[in-house]
Amino acid sequence: MVQNAWLIPLFPLVAYLLLFVLGRRAQEGIVTGISVLAALAGFIVSLLILSDVNANGAQAPYVFHWLTVGQHSLSMGYEVTPLNAMMLTVVTFISTLVLLFSKGYMHGDERYSVFYQYLNLFIFSMLGLVISPNLLQVYMFWELVGLCSFLLVGFWYFKPEAAAAAKKAFIVTRIGDVGLFIGIVLIYVATGTFEYSGVFEAFQAKKFAIDWITPDHLITLIGILVFIGAIGKSAQFPLHTWLPDAMEGPTPVSALIHAATMVAAGVYLVARAFPIFEASPDTLTVIGIIGGITAIFAALIGLTQNDIKRVVAYSTVSQLGYMVMALGVSAYTASTFHLMTHAFFKALLFLASGSVIHAIHHNQDLRKMGGLWKKLPLTGWTFLVGALALSGIPPFAGFWSKDEILLGAYNSGHYVLFTLALIAAFCTAFYIFRVFFMTFTGEFRGEKDVYDHAHESGPVMAIPLVLLSIMAIVVGFLNSPLMNNAFEHFLFKGGEEIGNVYEANWGMAGLATLVALLGIGLAYLMYKKQSIKPENLANGALRPLYQLSLNKFYVDELYHYVIVKPVVWIGHILNFIDKWIVDGIVHLFGEGTLIGSLGLKYSQNGQVQTYGLVTLVGAVLLIGFAMYAVGGVK
Amino acid sequence: MLSVEQFLTLGAILFCIGLFGALTKRNIIIVLVSVELMLTAVNINLLTFARFGLTPSINGQIFTLFVMTIAAAEVAVGLAILIALYRNRNTSDVRDQDLMKW
Amino acid sequence: MFSGLVITGQTVAFFLIALFLIACGVMLLSMKKVIYMAISIGGVFIGAAAVYILLEADFLAFAQVLVYAGAITIMLLFAIMLTKHDELERPAVITAHPVWSVLGTAGLGLIVLWVVKFSGIKWPQATADSPFQGQDNVKMIGESLFSQYVIPFELVSVVLIVALVGAITLANKEEKN
Repeated sequence: MVQNAWLIPLFPLVAYLLLFVLGRRAQEGIVTGISVLAALAGFIVSLLILSDVNANGAQAPYVFHWLTVGQHSLSMGYEVTPLNAMMLTVVTFISTLVLLFSKGYMHGDERYSVFYQYLNLFIFSMLGLVISPNLLQVYMFWELVGLCSFLLVGFWYFKPEAAAAAKKAFIVTRIGDVGLFIGIVLIYVATGTFEYSGVFEAFQAKKFAIDWITPDHLITLIGILVFIGAIGKSAQFPLHTWLPDAMEGPTPVSALIHAATMVAAGVYLVARAFPIFEASPDTLTVIGIIGGITAIFAALIGLTQNDIKRVVAYSTVSQLGYMVMALGVSAYTASTFHLMTHAFFKALLFLASGSVIHAIHHNQDLRKMGGLWKKLPLTGWTFLVGALALSGIPPFAGFWSKDEILLGAYNSGHYVLFTLALIAAFCTAFYIFRVFFMTFTGEFRGEKDVYDHAHESGPVMAIPLVLLSIMAIVVGFLNSPLMNNAFEHFLFKGGEEIGNVYEANWGMAGLATLVALLGIGLAYLMYKKQSIKPENLANGALRPLYQLSLNKFYVDELYHYVIVKPVVWIGHILNFIDKWIVDGIVHLFGEGTLIGSLGLKYSQNGQVQTYGLVTLVGAVLLIGFAMYAVGGVK
Repeated sequence: MLSVEQFLTLGAILFCIGLFGALTKRNIIIVLVSVELMLTAVNINLLTFARFGLTPSINGQIFTLFVMTIAAAEVAVGLAILIALYRNRNTSDVRDQDLMKW
Repeated sequence: MFSGLVITGQTVAFFLIALFLIACGVMLLSMKKVIYMAISIGGVFIGAAAVYILLEADFLAFAQVLVYAGAITIMLLFAIMLTKHDELERPAVITAHPVWSVLGTAGLGLIVLWVVKFSGIKWPQATADSPFQGQDNVKMIGESLFSQYVIPFELVSVVLIVALVGAITLANKEEKN
């Protein structure tokens, strides 16, 4: 079955082309039908492949020669490892649900069909990224998903914020991509191959074709450069600023791209290419620190945001930080496991938020919500499941994966990172339940009219929510002691074990749960019981901290003044040079010619006798000169 | 005894007179006439070399005949153009014919 | 300048004719009335015919009289009459144009004269005996024209026809629509 893995990206590609041919005016039902069927087909094939891999383990990649440039031969192909198979299944599953959900959410949009085209293109690119057996191919699909992200974030391009967010998403991730590109080029120069297997062997043997740097330093350098790509794509500190802004895009996009799949690509890349990073302890330390900072940083910002999607977005950043940190402390299994569980419950949270937003006329402001439980019971329940999973309450999915990450951080001896992660876990529980309480309990704070008309949006939106909720509950058991760590065994089937694996520690689990419960309790006190007034805290002793968090630690402002402004100034200077010096020279020639011709044109007076005279004088001078030169008539 | 130089000098003088007339006269007819004068001067030269040249022959006279024929044709066409021009612009001053200027 | 000049009937005739020719040329340049200019060019053409006779080109001399002095001069007179013939040549204003014209023309003339007289070229010495002694000029021209130069001759006749038709077409009054 594995040899048919190429079918999986093909389905969405075909769907994309079909929709493209059908054009913008295609009926919504047909558009959705084609897309969902394609994704579903992909999901079924993925499941078959998953079972195949589960039975037979990883297999050699299928590679064919692509082209030869000079002495360099490039190849393309596909491969399926347990990690790939897991990613394929997750991506196709969530894609199917999101495509279905979009039918309700995007209903009536003028560019409905275009939206589905973009989504299909994205799914194709993401699946292509997952099954790529070499870094060059990864890079191509990496850019393609970036492009799709740009298109979809800016889907409502007539909103200035959306257009700006799309640009920001593209440019900021581009910074990371440059790092990745340099890293890949360095890898090729050093090892002469793009294939994962070849690269890993070279890194193990520490034999490189680059001699201006010691192998150990080269490994660290390459690791960090490739990781910069992951920083950009997975919105790690300090390039995290694009992800919250990307929430300007339609909510299904946020769920699919900016929660479950594309942002996970960075983590996936690090996990897939883990031997590159594992070869250098320094790189791992950097990865761990970046991940830890991101986790706590985003969690702190998430505490005070008022836009429901932004809170979820910051929680995404924070959870990605967890995964990266886990990789940094070599908790490979924990990281990939969290990647999977997070994909489910975060997509669930986004879709549930989307359902709320859809129900109350595309309002995203938490301050204008409240008391929606009665109106949207299903959404409320599913959101609650997602929130519990995110907070890490047993037996929900997040509990198992987050617990493993905490365990990994503790056991690896990075106690600072462990502490940061624990605090972040507390914050996570607090802010997600803050959202929950502010949205679903209490009194509605918006216009009464809107509240009266709020209702559930029918089966196309309900089915994905329910399915994801079920996944968010059960998927965590896959790697629990209750199922004998099935996920872990699956992940290392037919290959060596990567990273550190620890025995479950019930004490750690208890601590994590306790912390999460504390967070939920605090949120309950502040936003349900109102026994602690949040306003008092915000305006009282904690005001500076509150402001700091509300304004996202002023990172955007910092970038604005440190990077954007100087660049704009350089632009102004260059513009000045171009306008007045470069163009000046060009204009000088133009104007000179013009003035010269203006003067010369008066010599053309139309008088035939003048022309004759000039000819005569010229001839006389020429003859005279010629005769003078040769000295008479020879 | 006649010499080549005398005839050549005469031709040169006539040619220069014709040239000057062509360059300065204002009536188009006179300009045309001046051109004829130049052609006549050329004819004198041709005949001179036919008579006194290193290899005297009849060819010079034949050439002159051709030149005269072409000159006659030229005058005919030139005068026709002049008539058409005069009919359209009501002037025969060469300086008024400056449609081709800037 | 004319060293070694032997006064004979021919030389006297030449100088008289040359004087007449140059006089007519100067008249052409200096006359005020256009009609006088046309008449003086008639004098030039007749004088040229006389020079042709001196150069032993009898047939051409007659042709010159017939074509130039006869046809062309008359045609010019008609053209003058058809246009504003009574208009005087406008008084010459000394501008750069006539000055340069004088300079250019004089320059050319001086160059040619220098070449003719002072450049040291050995011009062929005129022989007392005419190379065409005792030969029929018209017969010679005819033989040459219809043997060696027959193709140019025919071509010239075509040119004449074309010029004739062209002249008629040009001078013909356009039909008013």
